[in-house]
This record gives sequence, C-alpha cells and structure tokens, in this order.
Amino acid sequence: MKNKDMIFALQVASITYIWIFVLGIAIWILNLIRVSYKLQDSFDASLAISIVAIPVFFVLAVILTYVFVGLRKGRKREDAYSAH
Amino acid sequence: MADSHQTFFEDEELIRPIEQTGPGFYATVVVLLCVIAFAGYTYVRQVIYGLGVTGLAQPVSWGFYIINFVFFIGISHAGTLISAILRLSKAEWRRPITRMAEVITAIVLAIGGLHPILDLGRPDRMLHLFTDGRLQSPLLWDVTSITAYFAASTVYLYIPMIPDIAILRDRGIKPRWLYQFLSWGWQGTDHQKRVLERAINILMVMVIPIAVSVHTVISYIFAMTIQPGWHSTIFGPYFVVGAIFSGIAALLIVMIAFRKAFHLENYLKEIHFKYLSTLLLIMSILWFYFTFSEYLTAYYGHEPNEMRVILYKFFGAISPYFWLMGVCNFIIPLVILANPKTRTIPGILIASISVVIGMWLERLIIVVPSLANPRLPYPTGVYIPTLTEWSLFAGGIAVFILGYLVFAKLFPLISIWEIQEGRDHSIAEVTDRLTTYLPDQPLRKL
Amino acid sequence: MPRWGMVIDLNKCTGCGACVVACKTELNVAIVGPEESGKGRTMLCMDIFTFYEGEFPNVKTRHMPRPCFHCDNPPCTKVCPVRATYRNEEGLVTQIYPQCIGCRYCQVACPYTVKFFNWSKPEWPKEMRKALNPDVSVRPDGVVEKCTFCVHRLQKAREQVAVENRELEEGDYVPACVEICPTGAMYFGDLDNAKHAVNKLKRSHRAFQVMEDLGTEPKVYYLSEMEIE
Repeated sequence: MKNKDMIFALQVASITYIWIFVLGIAIWILNLIRVSYKLQDSFDASLAISIVAIPVFFVLAVILTYVFVGLRKGRKREDAYSAH
Repeated sequence: MADSHQTFFEDEELIRPIEQTGPGFYATVVVLLCVIAFAGYTYVRQVIYGLGVTGLAQPVSWGFYIINFVFFIGISHAGTLISAILRLSKAEWRRPITRMAEVITAIVLAIGGLHPILDLGRPDRMLHLFTDGRLQSPLLWDVTSITAYFAASTVYLYIPMIPDIAILRDRGIKPRWLYQFLSWGWQGTDHQKRVLERAINILMVMVIPIAVSVHTVISYIFAMTIQPGWHSTIFGPYFVVGAIFSGIAALLIVMIAFRKAFHLENYLKEIHFKYLSTLLLIMSILWFYFTFSEYLTAYYGHEPNEMRVILYKFFGAISPYFWLMGVCNFIIPLVILANPKTRTIPGILIASISVVIGMWLERLIIVVPSLANPRLPYPTGVYIPTLTEWSLFAGGIAVFILGYLVFAKLFPLISIWEIQEGRDHSIAEVTDRLTTYLPDQPLRKL
Repeated sequence: MPRWGMVIDLNKCTGCGACVVACKTELNVAIVGPEESGKGRTMLCMDIFTFYEGEFPNVKTRHMPRPCFHCDNPPCTKVCPVRATYRNEEGLVTQIYPQCIGCRYCQVACPYTVKFFNWSKPEWPKEMRKALNPDVSVRPDGVVEKCTFCVHRLQKAREQVAVENRELEEGDYVPACVEICPTGAMYFGDLDNAKHAVNKLKRSHRAFQVMEDLGTEPKVYYLSEMEIE
C-alpha cells in the first residue's frame, strides 16, 4: 500500500517535472526576447521564432498530462491496480 | 485480462531477452564502457588543454564534431519520422518496426545534440546561451528545435509503450517499481485505449513537422552563411532527404543485428526488410537527384569561388572521399537493392552499412571543403583529425550501442500490444478497408 | 556618430610588415611557435597577402595588408549565438572575450576569414611577459578574436580630449598599424567626416573595397596600385 502511494507520488512528480521543463523553456525564450528588445537586436525575428517554438512544448506537456489523467480515470477499480 | 495471458504465451520471444541475460551482453557492455571511458578521458584532456589537441586549425575550424553532429542528428530521423509516416499511412507492416526506429531517434538525438558542446572552446560558458542567447542565430534555432524533437520523440516513444510496460509489470519482472511507475495504471480498459489512441494520433501528426524542421534548421547553420558551397537554397530539403536516407539504413542495420541476437526471425520477416529496403532505394535515388542538382547549378554558374570548392571536391585533396561517397550512397545501394537476387538480408545489410558510411562522408564533404577554400589567398591547411576526435567519435557510437542494449534489456524492442492488435483486429479491418477502396458495386457483371 | 574606417594606399605599401609586428605587440596577440604555425594556427590580426606576378627573373610582387574590414553589414555578428561579437554604434565590429563560448560560428561565417581562434592557452616567452600591453586583455584559450581597430586607443583618446576639454580630432585615435606605417600608406579616421582624409580618399577613383559584391560594406578601402612612370 505504501509502495503504491510512493509510486503515485513519483508519477505526479514526473508530470510536474515535465511542466517545469516546459515552463522553463518558455521563460528562457521570453528572456531572450526581452534581452533582444533591450539591446535592439532583431526583436522581430526572436518573437517570430518564439511563436512557433513555445506552443510545441506546451502541446507536448498537455498530451502527457492528458494521457496520465485519462489512464487514471479509465482504470477499472482502485484495488485492481496491484492485483497481480 | 484473459486475452493478455494468452499473449504471454504467444509473444514469449519478445519478453525473453528482458528476463534472461547471457554473458555476451555483459561482455559487450564492458567493451563499450571501456570505449566510453577512453572517450571521456580524451574529452577531459581537450577541456584542460583546449581545442589545440584536435586537428582543427585555420581555415578548417569546424571538423569532426560538427560532421558527427549533423551525421548523428541525421540518423535520428530513422525513427520517429519513419514510424510516424508509416503509422499515419496505416502501413500494416510497420508493427514490429516502429519501436526499434523510435528508440534509435531518442538515443541518437541525445548523442548528436551534445556534439556542439564537444566543439565549444569554452564549454564552461554554455549558460550564456540561456542568459543572453540570440534567437536570430541559427545555432539557437538548433537548440530549440532539437530540444523540441527530443522531447516529442521521447514522448512518442513512451506513450505507445505503456501497454507493454503494463505487461511487464503484470509479469512481475524486476525492477518492479520501475514498471509500476512507468505503466501509469494501464489496465487495457476501453477508455484507456481510447485515450492512448487519441494521444498517439496527435503525436504522430505533430512529430513529422518537428522532425523535418530539425534537419532543415541544421542545414541552415551552413546555408545562412554566404560561404561558397554552403549558401544554397536546397540545403534544407537536401539535408532532410539525406537524414531519412541514413536513418533508414541505420534502422535496417539495427533490425538485422537484433533479429540475429534476439532470434526475432518470426517477427522481423523478409517482407519487412524488402519493404524497408525499397524505401532505402527510393531515398538513394532521391539523394542522388538532390546531389546532382546541387552540384550542377553551382558548376554551370561557374562562379569562381564556388568553382574552387567544387574542383577541390572533384579533384582536390578530398576527392577520394567525394567519389567514395557517390559509390557508397548511390552505386552500391542501387546495384544491390534494384536486383531481386541480391536483395536478401545479407545484401541489405551491406547496402545499409555502405549508406551509413556514405552519408557520414557526405557530411564531411559538406563541412570541410567550403572551409578549406577561403575566398582570400590564405595558406590552406589540410584537416587531419587526431586521436581525440576519433576516440570521441567511437565514444559516440559506443554510447548509442550501449543505450540501445540497455533499452532492449528493460523494454521489449517490438511492440507486443501492437502485434497483438494486428493479429486480433487489423486483419478484419484491412479487409474492410480494402473493400472501401474498390468500386462500390461491380459496374459490369456479365 | 563617427564611422571609423581605414584607407590603405597599395601604391605606397612596400610590404615591410611593420603593421603586422605593431599589431601583434599592441594587441597582445599570442605567439604560437613554428610547430603550431605549421598546422595553420598562426595568429595574426593584421596580415599581409603577397601576390606574385610573372616568371623569374621578371617577378613582380604586390602586397596587400589585411585588417578586419569592420563591415557595416557584418556576416559574422548575425550568427553569433551569445552576442560575443556585435557592431557598435560607431561601426566597430567588436569581440567580447569573456562572453564568447568558442563555437567559431563567426569565424566560419566571415567571408574574408579574418577571425581566428585561441586553440591553446596563449603563452609568451618569459622575457616578453612584462612587455605585454596593459591596455589590452590577454585572451584565454577557446575564444575567437580578431582585429579591433585598436578600440582601446579610442577609449584613451576620449579620456585625453575630455581632460583637454576639446573635441576628438583626426589623429587623436589611430590604430597601431596606421601609426607605425613607415611609408604612410595607411589612413584612418571618420569616413563620414568631411574634415578627415579618409572621407576624401574613399571617394578616389582608385578606391575599392574587397568583394564589394557580397554586400558586407567593408569600412576598409584600398587605393589600387597604378603604374608610376
């Protein structure tokens, strides 16, 4: 029982980690845009690239979260999880 | 899950390598670790003494590291792209192939993506890319697109693997916690299957443009400069074609190797190799077409600086490698694969190895000659890689093999549930699908 | 804003190499030794090309000193991933050594191949260590460098004219190579300032830039060689 909770905590942690990773990338790119604006260094190009790049990462994180939540919801019964 | 118990018996061969490990595995791992350790030693030496320990100099200041970077990322197109295209086009013969391909992508991408770091003179200042990187530099496009591709292809590898991980979990294979952790509570209910299918469908559509963008952007590193031989508009598609080409070859080599090592003859049949090698042949011809148009336009234009690079490639110091590239990438695959008599598994193996070598040479032919022929009359040096570069190259390959072996010991290399699905559902589905291809009613029935 | 530029009169250049020596000492450019030099790792911010024409004994040599051209539209600064090289407001293409990650992208992107890399940690003979120019930093290994148009001299000149409470004039700021040239073949100044010699010289019918067709707009002009009877 304890083992099961531990594994669930790890799973939640890994999903959280994915989100931190994606948010980190978004913050990183936004920071680069900010710097390029500050230094007058092709702000427009940076903005254009970020519009393509950031959504890709978010879609990935959303898919992973969707699968994780979907699989948990779709389980038969709580006790069936560690039946074997 | 009554029918999944039945699967265990049917697809026992796929799980056996995970449950039983022979001495050959450990011996290989030890050898690989030695190679990796030596590569690590030479890299530490390079960090301490500077890039002077390599064969790089002026004007050829990019060498093996950049070549291998482009090469490894090229190989990575094996997987995800091929498997996504085959899934998308509902090619039924994909079932035993997709996972093997995706694993190549995930591992090789990690190796290739790290290669620019080997090339840095100041790896300690890597963080400058995060604090004050410039998104307008093609190198930053690379960092973003490779990160995106790595993330997407690992997710794309992992999500279709969940049902198989659940099978391993239910069998109680150790380490048990790992499979419990990774299987995300999969029980094979209808709802779960729907969720998984939807996620795979979104991913396979998403992964294709990302994969294409990665190699396009890598070609842009060269194409965005105004150097002769690099500043070319077809470089994007040329690199993508080359990448898929070398990727298929690498996939075929891996398939043949594991078919032998894991006795998968029952799953990887001749027909799979025949189909994939046809694809390899098509890519070989496409590669030749791109190479031909690239060189013809430059040659016909006869711009002096372009001509110097071309003549260096055709007749200069690097010419043996240039012609060898043509033989390896076009003539050998064409001769072997176009002839049904030689299109056997050994023949395909020879053709694939030749293509992988040829594609590595192609990267060499792209990177070095343009640098070796500067526009102004500098004394030109010849680039001769030293032991450092060779050992790091060997190290890269060793990390790939080791990564693949470890993966094969933890997870089934062939998707069990997809094979099962093929057996249980697809035969009927394909028959139904085929009837929809045909005219609705026989037009003439005499 | 001034637009600093150089004019080199090839008619006057004798190919003596004084500019190369002056540059090497002024900028603390590392000495690599014959072995490394043979590998193609010679470090020169200022180089001289020698062109040979004709057959022996009627050989004619032509010389062409080559600093960094400080392009107005530099291909090298565009590709830098970390802003270690950029074109400042006065048109100087500068390198920030502590920022450089050593990817050498600028080096391969430069159509004139003027940039070079510190393949190893620079070392000087013991006797020379005290002769290093204190105004210029010594580069670590693993960074790209090139001619700076002696930008440190501009800083010094600025401070000097501030003390003297006057405007910067022609001759207050000249790079070491221009200063040392024994034949006066090199001129330096503000290309946009009508009072400066370079402004007039760059419009001479003899003036050309190297590979103008690339659109890099180099700020180094050459005055082509003419037969003097």
